[in-house]
This record gives sequence, structure tokens and C-alpha cells, in this order.
Amino acid sequence: MNVNALTNKFYSMPRAGLVVLLLSVMTLSGCATAPDASDPEAVAEHNEINDPIEPTNRAIFSVNQGLDRALLKPVARTYKDMAPEKLRLGIHNVINNLRTPVIFFNDVLQGDLDHALITLIRFLINSTAGIFGINDTAADLGIEFRNEDFGQTLAAWNIPEGPYIMLPVFGPSNPRDAVGRVVDFLIDPLNMWAANSGNDWVPPSETAADAVDFRARHYDTIEDLERSSLDFYAAVRSLYRQRRTDEINNGTVEPGTSVPSIGQFFDDEEHTDDDTDEVSQAN
Amino acid sequence: MTLFSSTGRRRFLLGLSGIAVFLTLTFQIPPAQASTFEDEARDFVSKLADKAIRDLTDKTVPRSKRIMRFREFFNTHFAVSGIGKWILGRHWRKASEVEREEYLSLFEDLMVVSYVDRFAAYAGEPLKIIKTLAVDDTNATVFSEIHQNEGAPPVRVNWRVARKDAMYKIVDVVVEGTSMSNTLRSDFGSIIRQRGNKVSGLIEALREKTATLRAKGS
Repeated sequence: MNVNALTNKFYSMPRAGLVVLLLSVMTLSGCATAPDASDPEAVAEHNEINDPIEPTNRAIFSVNQGLDRALLKPVARTYKDMAPEKLRLGIHNVINNLRTPVIFFNDVLQGDLDHALITLIRFLINSTAGIFGINDTAADLGIEFRNEDFGQTLAAWNIPEGPYIMLPVFGPSNPRDAVGRVVDFLIDPLNMWAANSGNDWVPPSETAADAVDFRARHYDTIEDLERSSLDFYAAVRSLYRQRRTDEINNGTVEPGTSVPSIGQFFDDEEHTDDDTDEVSQAN
Repeated sequence: MTLFSSTGRRRFLLGLSGIAVFLTLTFQIPPAQASTFEDEARDFVSKLADKAIRDLTDKTVPRSKRIMRFREFFNTHFAVSGIGKWILGRHWRKASEVEREEYLSLFEDLMVVSYVDRFAAYAGEPLKIIKTLAVDDTNATVFSEIHQNEGAPPVRVNWRVARKDAMYKIVDVVVEGTSMSNTLRSDFGSIIRQRGNKVSGLIEALREKTATLRAKGS
């Protein structure tokens, strides 16, 4: 396939998404219905969901689902069926290894010099003993991969995430993570090199490879979730926030779920008020 | 520098207090009961995982029989009605007795029909328990890892265990930081909001969903 055609196609996708976004903003009222102000629990729930442009987000979500069904899903399916597991794992490792500079910068920006060193050591081991990053030799030695990005860095700087936003093509996000995405792109030396050397195909190819890798690795999980959830959009919103919280906490802290009281779990009798007062933080 | 110069003395005192802190931390033995509770919670999860792999992952068993086995497994080891109530939150109070009963039964059905095939797809990789932490006297979290494929990183799975007397139940499963109960709460809550803040709306959606899933799986 002509590389230029692929590149053009890739670049036109976000633009198409933008048109859809504008159309939906114009056609829909664009605002989630406000809760009953006299019900404090309903208000608390509304604030927790924090999705003020829910109708617009839902419209974009369904366009994204259409794109997924038409393009990403079949490609991921073919990739998963045709490429042997070892090869897919190798490609995944190479993608992770290429992310090293971005992870390193963000380690430093978060003031986590210990992890910056780990990131560097991993890169050195995997690029040499791991043969250009194909094998995650460092992980075999107990130095495991941990992703960092500018969205997480902003969180580490105590910048709030802001409302939920569904980005065209790119999917679930929020202002903090959307800014993070742009900054990560700009600070990535690989992209700088690509721009300066006329290799414009590199960044979109990397993004596309990343997307196919992600979709293929989570193929069954995504199918199961879509099949068994009542409101796929709401389930994805909740999972996205929980995952990000976990990544920000580097997997060490439990997500903000309250541990409900024991009485609630074994008592089949009348439900008491204090049991329902515990509200989860993640949506 | 002599021991009794002003900086020296400060350093000496700091050293002493450091030793004191060290001793306090080292010899603070956790209460015997807490450690027993942690051991029991760990054993509970470990046995449950073995049982699941033994009884629920055999694809040669007909689906109807696997559904029966899974329902029994789920009701025995999970705090089904407790999780169901927690998911509903404030809406539980508004629900009528009839609605509550139907909701809990449909919730159980949904869990059974959506998880039975996932267990069958499970290739029986072992569960590795990393550690157990008691949250309080009745709640504990068992941290585990599931190794899926060779070379791929393991999946982090945390089991929230609750006990009452000698009975242990799972109240939540947290996979890579995502809580099953929490996700269901958002999912169901969204349906209730869309359907006039009524539990009857959720019940309707659950009825449709379980019917489709039952039909598809066979």
C-alpha cells in the first residue's frame, strides 16, 4: 500500500471526527440534564459522574464505535488470528521500548528519579540483550515495565482531571489527559527526528501500531464488556477513570472504592441507611 | 569532633531516637487475631481459585451444566445480594419489596450468563497470591497475579474478602485497578438515570439483557 495514501487517510480521520463533533454540538443540546437540586444524593452523584456534555460525548462514542467496527476491530482480529503470539508480544515490547524517552521525561518531571533510572536501565538492557526491544529481558530480570505520561505528570502536580471528554478517534479522555497526549507527542524525540528527517510517516504509523496492539491485546475483554454491560458508554467511562487512577498511583493504591460494611453483605434483612451512604469515587 | 559538641550531641540524640523508632517498628507485633484473619482470607481465595479452575473451566461439560455449577459457585463464595444492594446504592431504599427481589435475582442471572463463558475460555493458568492485608476486623484484600501467557506481564487481581463469624465471601474483584462492583454501579446507575430514576427501568433493561445473553450463549 502507498505509504502516502495511508498517511493521508490517517490524518483525515481526526478531521472527519472534528466535523462530527461540531455537528453533534450543533444538533444536540449538548448538556446532561441537571439533577434535582433538593436531593443531595442526586447532586453528589451528578458531580461524581462529572460528564457535563454527556449527549455530545455519547454521539462521538457511537461514531468511534462505528470506526472501530469498520476499521480497527477487523484489523486487530486479523492481526490476532494471523500473527503468532510470540511475534505480537515482540511487537508490543518494541512499542514499549520506543516509548522510553517519553516515560523518562515524565519520570523526571514527576520528580521520580528512582524510576527515571529504572526506565533508563530497562532501555539499555532491552535495546541490547533484548535485541532492539523485541524481548523484555529487563522484565525477566524483575525490572518491570511501568508507563508514565504527561497526563499522569499533571496529576502528580495536583492538577484536577476536569470533566469527562470523549475524543473523536482517540476515545475516552479528560482535559488533563488530552493536554498530556499533545505534550507527550511534542516531547517525543522520535517524532522530532521524524519531522526533521522528512520521515512524516513515522508518528502516525506508531500511533496506528499502538492502537492495533492495544485493540488486539484487549480484544476479548472489550467484546465481553460490550456484550454484558447494560450501558457500554457508562461502563467505559467508569473503567477509564479507574484505570487512570490506578496508573497515576502506579498500581500501589487501591482505587477509590469504599469498602462497604460487612453487615450489608451478609444481612439479607432490611437495608439500613448508613450502608447506602457510602459513595464510590470512581465512575 | 567530640561526642558532646553541640552538633555531635544532636546527632547522638537523633541516633538514639532513630534506634527507638526502629525498635518500636520492629517489635510491634500485629495482634494475633489479625494475622489469623489474613491467613484465613488468603486460604479462602486460594481454595476458591483452585475450585474455579477445577470445576468451571472444563469446556467439555455442557453449557447448561456449567451454568448450574457457576451459579452455585457464585452464590457460595460471593456476597451476591450484598454486592447487588451496594450497586443500587440510594435507589435500593426507594425500591419496593417485589422490585428488590426481582432485581437481585436478575443481577445474579446477569453475572452467571456473562461470566460462565469467560471461565470456560480460561486456560487454567495458576493464581499466584502475593500478599494479604486486613483492612479492619472483617475486611481484607488478597493481592494476586495471574500469569496469562509466557513473556507477557501478569495481570494484577485483588480480591476483597469480607467475613462474618466463620463465613467468608468475596465482595469485589479488582483487576488492574478496575473494580467489578464499581463498574457495575456506574453501569446500572446510568440506566436508572436514563429511565426516569426508577429501579423498574433497570429491571426492564436487565430482563432484556439476560434474555439476549442466554439465547446467544447456547
